Amino acid sequence: MNSRSRTDEAAAGRSNDPTILILTSLAEGEKHGYALLQDIEGFAGVRLGPGTLYGAIGRLEERGLIEAVEGSGRRRPYRLSGAGAQALRCALAEMRTIVEEGSARLTRRPATVAGAFAVTA
Amino acid sequence: MNVSRTVGWLLWCYPASWRARYGKELEALIMDMSGGRRVSWRVRADVLGAAGRERIRSVGLSGDRPGPDRVRGGAVLVMWAWALFVLGGAVLGKSTEHWQSVMPAGSGHATAGVAFTTLIAAAVVAGLLVLVAIGLTLPSLLVFLRGGGWRQIRARILSAVGLTAVLVAATIGLAVWAHGLTPPARNGHDTAYGIAFLAWAALCAATLLAWTAAAASTARHLDLTAWTLRLQARLAAAATGAMGVITVATAVWWAVVASASPAALTGTPAVSHQSAFVWQLLVAMAIMLCAIGLGGLGARRAARALPCLERG
Repeated sequence: MNSRSRTDEAAAGRSNDPTILILTSLAEGEKHGYALLQDIEGFAGVRLGPGTLYGAIGRLEERGLIEAVEGSGRRRPYRLSGAGAQALRCALAEMRTIVEEGSARLTRRPATVAGAFAVTA
Repeated sequence: MNVSRTVGWLLWCYPASWRARYGKELEALIMDMSGGRRVSWRVRADVLGAAGRERIRSVGLSGDRPGPDRVRGGAVLVMWAWALFVLGGAVLGKSTEHWQSVMPAGSGHATAGVAFTTLIAAAVVAGLLVLVAIGLTLPSLLVFLRGGGWRQIRARILSAVGLTAVLVAATIGLAVWAHGLTPPARNGHDTAYGIAFLAWAALCAATLLAWTAAAASTARHLDLTAWTLRLQARLAAAATGAMGVITVATAVWWAVVASASPAALTGTPAVSHQSAFVWQLLVAMAIMLCAIGLGGLGARRAARALPCLERG
């Protein structure tokens, strides 16, 4: 979880979406299934199962967001398509909006509410 | 079980088309993850869950499919529900075949008779609706076969035909055997015949499910018009409604006969302390309720996709 800050948890539901994780991983370059799993665990701390990974790969490929690259043997690499890069930009912008709005609201949060929460906690 | 056999078994759970595209890659990934050791239960559960989701997607039952696929998937689910319902109906039919001769006149006989007639009439209507729905696809089926589609459905159709041939032979054999037995022997007193009858019933169920699987597999390949799909959605809803009528009529019949003459529930001569909760009826009712649940899901799925067809 090297680059993951606490405020990113605000968009956890979205950021745990396997399709977003795969698009993010492929943004750096083409990878095959095993490399994708290792990379995703490295940057997001999420251990995807092989079935979940290939289910998401199938959906992404069907929607034209990623493309298969001719690979060696049975380990076929995938790469981000132009549409995939655009979809990832949109998803990240959405998540950024939520993160910024959540952070701003936490900053504006009245001290009394925070105090009351601290007492009950 | 060694790793490659486990992986082979896991991949078999996916639809054939998915397996053809991603099977080898997924196999390589699982092998890489297991490092030659046994496949962990977490990985097995993940792959099985994903395979189930792909199977549901492949028949048009997940949310991210185009409207025509969703209508088709919903209608196919209702067809599966009908097949299941027929199995429940067969259990019901076997256990209720002599009730009218055993139940004394009066004491609710007329009410039970009306409920039973309603049940039979609704079953005929539902059967006709399913046949009409299948008939509507025949022009598309002919186009599909003329276009060389037989290869894609051959395996399923041939296995259903094979099972049917075995069933016909078994039915003739069983009928010849039954001809030489006394009525009590045919109704449970001859153990060997009873076992053979159960095997024959299982064969009937397998044949019905094989033909349903063949029809479902074929339906996936057909190019159906929007008009046909709209009718399929309505027929699916009507067939599910008919299944509901049959189930309600069965419940009424059961309640009336149980309160007046519980022994008639099994069609056996009156015995003291006969319970109203006969296991055959409980099994039949459970199967019918499951089928209605499935049918309801399918009919709702098809109906909800109709606006997409209108827009298309």
